[in-house]
Formats: sequence, C-alpha cells, structure tokens
Amino acid sequence: MSKQIKVALIGNPNTGKTSVFNQLTGLNQKVGNYPGITVEKKEGVCKLPRGIKAHILDLPGTYSLNATSLDENVVIELLLNKSHKDFPDVAVVISDVENLKRNLLLFTQIKDLKIPAILAINMADRMDRKGISLDIELLEKKLNTKIALVSSRKGTGIDTIKELILEYRKLPTEPCVNASVIDKDYFENLQNAFPDQELYKLWLVITQDVNFVQLNRHTIPDTSSFNTKSRSELKRLQQKEAICRYQFINGTLKEGYKVDAGAAKGLRASLDRVLTHKVWGYVIFFAILLLIFQTIFNWSQYPMDYIDELFASFSEWAKATLPAGVFTNLISEGLIPGIGGIVIFIPQIAFLFLFISLLEESGYMSRVVFLMDKGMRRFGLSGKSVVPLISGTACAIPAVMATRNIENWKERLITILVTPFMTCSARLPVYLIIIALVIPDKRFMGLNYQGLMLMALYLIGFITAVGSAYLLHKVMKTRTKSFFMVEMPNYKVPLLKNVALTVLEKTKSFVFGAGKIILAISIILWFLASNGPSDKYANAEEIVTEKHRGQDISEEDLNTEIASYQLENSYIGIIGKAIEPAIQPLGYDWKIGIALVSSFAAREVFVGTLATIYSVGSEEESTIKNRMAAEINPVTGGKLFNLASGVSLLLFYAFAMQCMSTLAIVKRETNSWKWPMAQLILMSGFAYIVALIAYQVLK
Amino acid sequence: MPDIQTILVYAALAIAVGFLVKKFFLPKKKTKKACSNQDCGCH
Repeated sequence: MSKQIKVALIGNPNTGKTSVFNQLTGLNQKVGNYPGITVEKKEGVCKLPRGIKAHILDLPGTYSLNATSLDENVVIELLLNKSHKDFPDVAVVISDVENLKRNLLLFTQIKDLKIPAILAINMADRMDRKGISLDIELLEKKLNTKIALVSSRKGTGIDTIKELILEYRKLPTEPCVNASVIDKDYFENLQNAFPDQELYKLWLVITQDVNFVQLNRHTIPDTSSFNTKSRSELKRLQQKEAICRYQFINGTLKEGYKVDAGAAKGLRASLDRVLTHKVWGYVIFFAILLLIFQTIFNWSQYPMDYIDELFASFSEWAKATLPAGVFTNLISEGLIPGIGGIVIFIPQIAFLFLFISLLEESGYMSRVVFLMDKGMRRFGLSGKSVVPLISGTACAIPAVMATRNIENWKERLITILVTPFMTCSARLPVYLIIIALVIPDKRFMGLNYQGLMLMALYLIGFITAVGSAYLLHKVMKTRTKSFFMVEMPNYKVPLLKNVALTVLEKTKSFVFGAGKIILAISIILWFLASNGPSDKYANAEEIVTEKHRGQDISEEDLNTEIASYQLENSYIGIIGKAIEPAIQPLGYDWKIGIALVSSFAAREVFVGTLATIYSVGSEEESTIKNRMAAEINPVTGGKLFNLASGVSLLLFYAFAMQCMSTLAIVKRETNSWKWPMAQLILMSGFAYIVALIAYQVLK
Repeated sequence: MPDIQTILVYAALAIAVGFLVKKFFLPKKKTKKACSNQDCGCH
C-alpha cells in the first residue's frame, strides 16, 4: 500500500474549514474523539491526481497557536510533536477572504514552525459582491507560500488545493515573519540553550497557559545556561509578538488586498441590528424556538407513530411465526421492542440536528450565542448552553451531544450536568397520568389546575437546571480561563451537503453509541421480568388457578392475574419488594418500586410497567388510570395515588436521573464514569429528599 | 437438558451483561502518551 500524504486542515472558526473538508473527502470520512479528551476528531481520505491519496485531518478551529481551550490544545500539540502519528506533511490553512487580516495571524505562526503550508482563501465567490480584489502573486511572495483561491460553496479551487498537496515538497518552509526581533537577546539565548530544537516551538511550549495531554514539557530540560522570564514578562512578549505579526500582515494586505468600501455595507448590518437587539433579539429567538419545537413534535409524530406501529406488528409477526419458546419471547418482547425503543428516537434527533445545523450554517446561531451569553454567564453557563438546554425539553441525549460546540470545558461540563433537569418528552407520559390522578380537573380564573401543574413542572426543571449550574460554577475549579469570543460570520444560505452530513453523523452516533446500551439493558430487563427464583414464579398458573377454583372469573381476567402474580415473584418483582422499605416514606408501594427500577432504563417505561403490574391488558391511560385510582396503600389504608404521593412522584421524576441512555451519553461525552455517577447520585439523592419532604408535608 | 431456545436466551443475556461490563467497568487501554495521574487538563 502506498504511503498517504498527511494533511492537516487548520483555520479560524467559521472560515468554512469543514466545507472544504467535506469537498475534499466526500463521504470518505469518519468522526471520533482525540485520545483522552472529548474534542471531536474528523478525518478522511482524499483522492489526488496520479492515484495518490491524502489523509485529511480536520483540526478544531483555532484563532492562534496560543491555546485557550482544549480544542486549541489539540492543534498545538499535534503541530509541536513531530513524532505524533498525525503530524502533517503539509498544512492547509483555511482563511475567509473577508477576514484575511485576522486569519493570517495563525498562518504566520504555522509558517514559523517550518511546516509546509498552503494558504487556502475560502469564500472567493463573495469577492465580487464585497468589492474585494487580491494580488495573489504578491501575496504568495510576501507570505512565502502557495495560495489556492477557493469557494467551498461552489466547489471551485478544490482541485488547486489537491495539486498543491501533491506538490507539497516544493513548498517553501521559511517563516514569513521574524518574530524574534521582539527580544533578540532572549531568543538568541533560548536557541543557544537548546540548539537542536525549533526556536518557535520552544517559545510556544514556554508560553502556553494550558496543560498538554500528549506533549511532555520535560522534553525541554532545565538548564543553567538559559534563564526564562516571569509569567508577566512572557505575557508582554506574547503581546509584542502579536503586534509584530499584525504589523507584517497589515503591510502585506495594504499592497495585496483591496476592498471597495461602497460595496461592503448592506443587509448584514441591518439584520444584526434586529437579531441582536436587547428586546427584539429575544422575541425573535424565542419565536424561532417555538416554531422549531412545534415543528419537531409535529413532524416527528408521523414517523414515530409509523415506527411504533411497524415494530409492534413486527413483534407480533415474530411471535406468531417463530417456534414457540423463551428465545422467541425474548425476540418479540425484549429485542424487537428494545430496537424499536432506539429507532423511535431517530426522527426527533434527526429533526433537531437538522434545525440546529440550519441555524449554525446560516450564521444565525452566532447571534443567539452573543445575545444570550451575558445572562447565562451569571450562572456559570455560556451563551452556547442555550441550545442544549432547550434541546433538553425534547430529549437529553441529543442535547448533551449538542454541547460539543462549547469550547470552554467547565461551561460544557456544567451544561452536560444540568441539562437532564430540563423536562424531556419521556417525562410527559409519567406527568400526564399522575397529574390526571391527583390534581383536580378544576379551573381558577379560567386556568386549568392540571395545565398549571404541568407548566410548573417545566418551570421547576428549568429553574433547577440554572440554579444547579450556579452552584457547580461556584464549586468547580478550573485552570482554563473563560472569556467570551464569538465571531459574527456572514449570513448565508446553508449548504445542504453540510447539513445532511451533520444530521447523518449525529443520528449514526446515537444509534450506534447509545443504541447498543439500550438494547443490552432491554435484554436484561426482559430477563429479570420473565424469570423468578422460586416455585411461586414457576407455578404461578397453578397457584392462581387454584385460588380462583369454583369462582366465576373470565379467562382474560385469570390470565392477567397470572401475569401479575408472575411479575410479583420475578427477579424484578423481588427487587421491587426489596426496595419497598426505602420508598415507603415517599408514599410508594413495591409496585411503584418496580416501575421506578424498570424506568431507570427510560422514564416512559414507568407507565407501561404499572400497566402490566396492575394487570391491565392494554396500556391505555384511561384504563390504567382507573386501576391506579382504585389502588389502596397497604400502610395507610387510603388511596395509594393521592395528592401527597402524586406530588412526591412528580417531583421524584422531575429531579431523578432516571435515564440510562443519558448516563451513557454523558459517559461518552466526558470520557469518564465520574461525571455520570455524580449526576446519578446527586440528582437521584436530591429527588429522593424533595419527594420525601413533599409526601411528609402533604400527607 | 435445556432446549436450544433457553440456551440462546442465556447466550443473549451473557452477551448483554458482558457488553455492559466491558463498556462501563473494565478500564480502557491507555497509550503511553495518554494522561498521567496528574491534572493534565484532559477529561
């Protein structure tokens, strides 16, 4: 197999780097994480002329080689470590034709590392409209590189990049700026102390604020021949370096980059004024959100119903067609519903990411982030936390995945930890049935109590999420400084290819990531509910039939009672009985205990489990509601579902971490069991205490 | 002697439990260059 050319795509955020990556690799790409951290790693293969292939690595967006976040760390670590397996043969620095001045800072730094670098100036299709003209020949000479003028939107210039990659050995590697002039003596001493090392590499390692994952600072040993400077002196030198680079860039662009100012003003400024307005900005944003969530629910409903029906008939078909036996039962009652439980979420996830992707691609998301940042920052969150928090009202799983664009690790972690407090759609079946049972169907000033209770539960979720974010912000320490920097990219029509790839990638990630876990849990839950250790389970039919001998009881009622008796004596029933003493102070009996245990896999399982336990053939809420309303608390002798136990249950479900899939996603996103376990213990512990207080006060 | 369906059920159960144990409880292999026990900033 011939050796592939290793290419790193580097650039500032919002320069269209991912679009260029998509153009270069097409569908030959895969997404993973960098080892040890949760920064997304995108790589792919690009076919070059003459049958040669290039391995393309799409590095996280970075403004400079002075790292301030984990994402930027990844870029620096890779570029400083020649023994890294992904160390590039050639770097393609993507820049935006409208923001060339800022983008070139990174380019000049990469040149200093003496890595062959190609400058790809993207969004060239906007040059005419914006009155921009470039003297490519002069820029190539001044920047000491080769330039490709690209429009990833129109697909132009991609072939030029490919040709330049192919000829990367001919690219000059000399720096275009001599940054050491800022303190000649210091840099001379530094080079003399470590003659075998690249000077700029030494400087970067000395001045970085952050800790490296893979690069060992000890490879640069201490020496008495070199005295380094204090932190503040180094900071001052860094500032001087940036000024020196910008002086060079300004001088270069003055000659090679012209803008007709008359063409630059237009729709963008007017749109920005409205979309980031302190009143209208929020009104428009919430109107868009309302529209998105209404659409998600409305559009998802049809495919979800279809998937539900499809899996139900498939399950029935499997039971009727396959030879009777326990494995057939596992397939029809465990595996097929288990897979259905994964697939049914696909429409919601796909639609949610379709809209998020459209908002991001159009440039509107940056305005939202700017708008919300100030308010959210008070609670230790970032403007970018808004989207995951709101997505959490549909489902916490895609919401946690949506935190990936929050650069600051602490803010991202806090968002991940508090998002499950938001009222997700899986809580709705539980809320609806309990509210219908315990809250009177009466009105106050035209407002229905039951509707008000539902709204209150949504508000409780949001307030708890923001409140716990505030506490976590105060408790958690971070070594990474947080500051707000958001770029306002131009508004543009979203590229369908990018949107489609994002939706595909996120959906795949859910199905093959969390899906496997949900499936495994479904098998275990089915087994625990379908087997029992004692004779009571095995002889349930004889015992129940004997009990009703001589009584006038229909076969259907007899069968449901047998099923109920079996469940009570199954492993999961025994677990329910075992936890009964712990949940009794909350006003629950063992049957609710079983529903609590089984709904640990997913909250919506609660209603289904209770339906089986209360021996109701169907899961229709009206039927189960009547049976639940008739249940008697064995301790008090009163109704089991009254205001006290009902409110207690509602609050328990509002706060408890009753979702295995969310835990699995949190584990994947944080790369550690520490955080999902903390989430499980703290959220469920808090839920228990609140539910206990509610029951004891209201009973 | 258990029938084939029972064997298949236990096999599926073993795979499910094994998968969860492997995924959640067994430590992942780390390369030499991965995080040390110091606070390296990676999470």
